[in-house]
Amino acid sequence: MEAIRNALDFKDLPRSEVYLSWAVALFLIIFPLLPFSSFAMATMIQFLIFAVYGMGWNTIGGYGGQVDLGKAQYVGIGAYTTTVALIRWDIPFWVSMPLGMAISVLWSFMIGYPLFKLKGHYFAIATIATSLVLKDLFEVWGFVGAARGLHISPVKYPPPDFLRLIFKEDVYYYYLLLGFFFLAVFVMNWFRHSALGYRLRCIKDNEEVAKALGINVHWAKIKTYALATAYVSAMGSVHAMYIKNIEPEDTMSLDISVLIALMAMLGGAGSLWGPIIGAAVLVPMKSYLKEWMGAKMGLIGIDLIIYGFIIMVIAAVEPKGLWGLYERWKGKRSAP
Amino acid sequence: MASEVLLQAIVAGLLFGMVLSVVALGLTIIFGVMDIVNFAHGEFLMIGMYTGLLVSQYTGADPLFALPVAAVIGGLLGYLCYWLFVRLLLRGPMLAQLLGTFGLMLFLRNLALLLFGSEDRSIQKGILVGKSVVIFGSCVVPSTKLGAAVLAVLAFLGTYLFIEKTKIGKALQATAINPHAARFMGISTDRMNALAWVIGGAGVTVAGGLLVNFWAVNPYVGLLFTMLAFTIVALGGFGSVPGAFFAGLIVGIITEFPGIWDAISLWTGWNWMYKVPMISFKYTWVYLAYFLIMLITPKGLFGWKR
Repeated sequence: MEAIRNALDFKDLPRSEVYLSWAVALFLIIFPLLPFSSFAMATMIQFLIFAVYGMGWNTIGGYGGQVDLGKAQYVGIGAYTTTVALIRWDIPFWVSMPLGMAISVLWSFMIGYPLFKLKGHYFAIATIATSLVLKDLFEVWGFVGAARGLHISPVKYPPPDFLRLIFKEDVYYYYLLLGFFFLAVFVMNWFRHSALGYRLRCIKDNEEVAKALGINVHWAKIKTYALATAYVSAMGSVHAMYIKNIEPEDTMSLDISVLIALMAMLGGAGSLWGPIIGAAVLVPMKSYLKEWMGAKMGLIGIDLIIYGFIIMVIAAVEPKGLWGLYERWKGKRSAP
Repeated sequence: MASEVLLQAIVAGLLFGMVLSVVALGLTIIFGVMDIVNFAHGEFLMIGMYTGLLVSQYTGADPLFALPVAAVIGGLLGYLCYWLFVRLLLRGPMLAQLLGTFGLMLFLRNLALLLFGSEDRSIQKGILVGKSVVIFGSCVVPSTKLGAAVLAVLAFLGTYLFIEKTKIGKALQATAINPHAARFMGISTDRMNALAWVIGGAGVTVAGGLLVNFWAVNPYVGLLFTMLAFTIVALGGFGSVPGAFFAGLIVGIITEFPGIWDAISLWTGWNWMYKVPMISFKYTWVYLAYFLIMLITPKGLFGWKR
């Protein structure tokens, strides 16, 4: 009960933010009714997926200050679990998604225990290393399709299939993802108010003080890492059903890990809305840049050049991201 | 037979390791002096490789003569990166430093993709290309690798002597040990940081110029070497220059693990050992090694910084 009350409690936020978030939620709900192109729809789906990934990263990376650059391995585990379960044993999505989450969380405990003995840069690089090891493994493992990956054929499962999550129209995926998105926001809000969330923020501010206060630092980090993993793995499962074609290079590469971290960081790591803002800015920008400048003008890689440049500017000018800029502006305005 | 395969693998690993230690040199100096991890390190290497390739293609000179050009370009690049970008990053938290250099990596990599295209390119002609040398009686080594290894050791020694023997090198070391105290002694730490970036940039582009003699270059080549360099720096100890050399040799041998595996399977004659696709895990061992090193000895072999 306590947890649910916490999850639905937005009272500590300023009223303007609450109204604004209601407006955004309403817009997201009616979005498919508006006359937008299928390209815009695909972009919105990408936005929802990456917003949830970013929220997952934000628990450990934003609130906890542990820079994790290996989230792609959990995208991979989630995506592969559902796809393999569907192709090999015809297990429906609603069973295989929790299964994938369980496997991911188990794996996160296994590597989290040693990983969190490291700090700072050492931790960040070690997460990359574990992610790359897993990717190398998947690239030679014949059972999961090795480097070619797996393909879900829509012919075999006639859409719309609500049990296996095979649809033809993007709208179905959109509303499904929107449901996950709202759920993720509520879980995030619960986390913010939970004892674990407070502990983690204390660890971020000063680990020595946290230890002195009797917080089990190592265990708190591992638990939060598992929560982040569950987020990312669940979304990885949906992602796999949506793109229907997964291979190690696409789902588990370092670029995905970095992208996830960037979403949260650009929007503002360690704030409730940060990852959502980051995804809302970066995803449309990336896909439009790729579409207009990459495909139409033949400038391959221009999207990522601009992307990298923006990251550099944000990191150098305002490390707290767009949310930090907003708060600074608000602080200036309200100051006497 | 088995011993020959083993010798071949170990020699190849050692030679590659000598080049790798120069790759890691810049990273360890930059980390030692200013506690910042440069994720764009592999991209600097890629720039060095393209420099070697393009200079030899357009002037028709041997790729080895492109090394000074690569050093100048790398030094300039390091200097510009420091003054325009990294200086600003130092004010922020670690998260900003990590992601900032990551942004630099994306930027440089995709700039190369835009300019040079995504295909593999390699050097076709040169003094050393296509020849091989026999050493230790039965061990065949491509002369490109041997030449690159010898030059790498020379470059490494030169940098080491510069840091250990000259006054500027000592100032650099002082900045690494305690920037505050160094500032009291009248050392401009800002300039020393810039110097670290110049040496780091020049070192890694020279390594790229050496590497391109026997390694095809494409815009994505950087990440692998960034990870290799991180492993070497972790093993040798963050900030330790001699550590980087010995760790480079060890990591070089780890990358030749498939050859060692072959030798063992030849020696034992066990059938199952042939069936393991060890060659696909060539670099997996390096990543695993990083993980294990960090857990067992976080300070590395020669490290003093934590």
